[in-house]
Amino acid sequence: MPVKMLDGNGAAVEAVRLVRPGVIAAYPITPQSSIAEHLADEVAGGRIKAEYIRVESEHSAMSVCLGAQLTGVRAVTATSSVGLALMHEVCGMTSGCRLPMVMHVVNRSLAAPWSLWCDHSDTMAERDSGWLQFYAGTVQDVLDLYLAGIRISEHPDVLTPSMICQDGFFLSHSMQKVDVPEDSAAFGFVGQYRRQNMYLDPEDPIFVNDLTPTDDYGEMRYQQMVGFRNAAAVAEEVFAEFQRRFGRRLETVRPYMLEDAEVAVVTMGSMSGTARYVVDQLRAQGIRAGALQIVMYRPFPAGAVARVLGQIPVIGVVDRSAGLGAVCPPTCTEVAAALRGKANEIRSFIGGLAGRDISNHSFERIFADLLAIRAGKRDTHCQWFDLRANPMDIRVLSGEEDAECIK
Amino acid sequence: MLRIKFYGIGGQGAVTAAKILSQAVSIYQDEYAITVPAYGHERRGAPVYAHIIIDNKPVALNCYVYEPDVVVVFDETIISKGICVGEGCHEDTVLVLNTADAGAAARYRAEFNFKSIYWSDGTGVAMKNIGIAVPNSAMLGALAKTGIVSIEAVEKAIFNSFGKAGEQNARAAREAYGQTGRA
Amino acid sequence: MPERRGRPMDKQAGRKLLGPCAIIFAAAKTGSWRLERPETDAGRCVRCGICARYCPVGTITVHKEGAAPVEIDWRYCKGCGICVNECPKKCMELVPERGEG
Repeated sequence: MPVKMLDGNGAAVEAVRLVRPGVIAAYPITPQSSIAEHLADEVAGGRIKAEYIRVESEHSAMSVCLGAQLTGVRAVTATSSVGLALMHEVCGMTSGCRLPMVMHVVNRSLAAPWSLWCDHSDTMAERDSGWLQFYAGTVQDVLDLYLAGIRISEHPDVLTPSMICQDGFFLSHSMQKVDVPEDSAAFGFVGQYRRQNMYLDPEDPIFVNDLTPTDDYGEMRYQQMVGFRNAAAVAEEVFAEFQRRFGRRLETVRPYMLEDAEVAVVTMGSMSGTARYVVDQLRAQGIRAGALQIVMYRPFPAGAVARVLGQIPVIGVVDRSAGLGAVCPPTCTEVAAALRGKANEIRSFIGGLAGRDISNHSFERIFADLLAIRAGKRDTHCQWFDLRANPMDIRVLSGEEDAECIK
Repeated sequence: MLRIKFYGIGGQGAVTAAKILSQAVSIYQDEYAITVPAYGHERRGAPVYAHIIIDNKPVALNCYVYEPDVVVVFDETIISKGICVGEGCHEDTVLVLNTADAGAAARYRAEFNFKSIYWSDGTGVAMKNIGIAVPNSAMLGALAKTGIVSIEAVEKAIFNSFGKAGEQNARAAREAYGQTGRA
Repeated sequence: MPERRGRPMDKQAGRKLLGPCAIIFAAAKTGSWRLERPETDAGRCVRCGICARYCPVGTITVHKEGAAPVEIDWRYCKGCGICVNECPKKCMELVPERGEG
């Protein structure tokens, strides 16, 4: 397998090329832009034989892809942040119409405050939009999860679109060593796209997404639930086949040193490797620490989470989105639900917002907190980590703001 | 594991240099490297940082470098912009400095306590070989002098990254490598 | 007006479909909604084609020759009356659909 140095966006483009899409429509937005640009290059250079349709917004991009995929081709778009928010309406159309589209999402904060940098608030806002969600931990994951996502989404028992989420900049612009499968091996794995369920054909016309009566709506949502339920089992099958073909192990959750752990962190995305690095350091000091990376967030792998975390006394769940107004933020909510009825102490940690680095030192502090709780310290249920000391006072007017410009 | 931090000024190609270095060690030396770029409000003249982590096994750590083993300074005036290039350095941290002035190394040693300093006139070498004041390839040549990457791997990665300008840039790297002084 | 080959979704017969897809097309034949129908006075019609251009569902064909200048696809004409309003010669009118038996 050829080894290349790629950033996350480069791996995203390679993955798209390998699955041979028929239509591409993407609107550039930081930090996704180089995906939109390089896909255009690939089409212009004939390396991807697709129709590249220029659009004026993400709403249109998803609409074009929805229509295109209904005709029986793989349709490709990619986005970030407010672009995903603008797509929201049509994302629900795509999932509700049971179209197995697979989309790269480069995670970036939602506004306001306006930001270009990474957190998970954009995809967390879409967690109930009927899409499967996978979160890459490395650049290799971006490529691998896209190929696997195609298979999972397109499985006749699933027929549900997927978001392949990668952290903006920390993955999208991070150069890493990537095994890129040969074209034939990758295409042999994903296979030719077959139109399934309903589709658009002028010779055989149908009405798609006409006004659906109350009598049918609940049943159609139920059908989607069955798709999600099936996706959990299908993901396991697809990951096993992926490993047989490509030698790399994909998992819905990645446990690390959990068997005898007394304290553990739960992570998603690019922070996960850093967590494992700190676990190694703590283990070297004789501390029984562990880490769990959630790869598949939708459907949430509650069974696997309960199995690997069930016996761990103190668990800290790190969320890269705020979950305002909730009892705890999104990942912690899911983990707590998966562990309901068990005796674990669960603590929520919120941080890394808008690209604030979640460093080895961040995890050292989180583990120190968890160890203190293990030793009997009582603490708040939810903590914001690496927050400045005076969060309420970061903008104070002095009355002399213009002085520097005037002189 | 080796942690490297690049300090540059927007327009000097520090982020590109980080990518080329990661390619040099990962593709041409069979090691593993990741870059963790710190993108800010991109504009010419603003301070720019790039972080590279190198190991002989896949790199788990995916965050900025806070305790660098090697610091590369693309512009010696950066310390006048309120930036402390000694931040987080330990007693064995190596400095690679772009300067035409042998005295600068001594000033950096006095101010930041680097034990080992490599210096090269990266900007001058770039002007001579490429015709523009973008010292990134030259500074990779100077960095090769520290022994963390071979000059051959740097040249190959430069060829692979720069296309038509590959030869000039590789020449700049080789020349800077040759004239790098050690203080 | 060209006839569609077969009925909609014939090729899907017997298959289960998931999601929002209409499989009963009774309401799609909008002609069944019609309470009044447009009639044309062929003697006054100048075959200008404006009625056809304004018809929102494209059911009108205006023939350049022949005894009946205006042909309407009754399967889809809803009887909305726009053609009647737009006719510059006022040679079209709506007549009740019921009553005609």
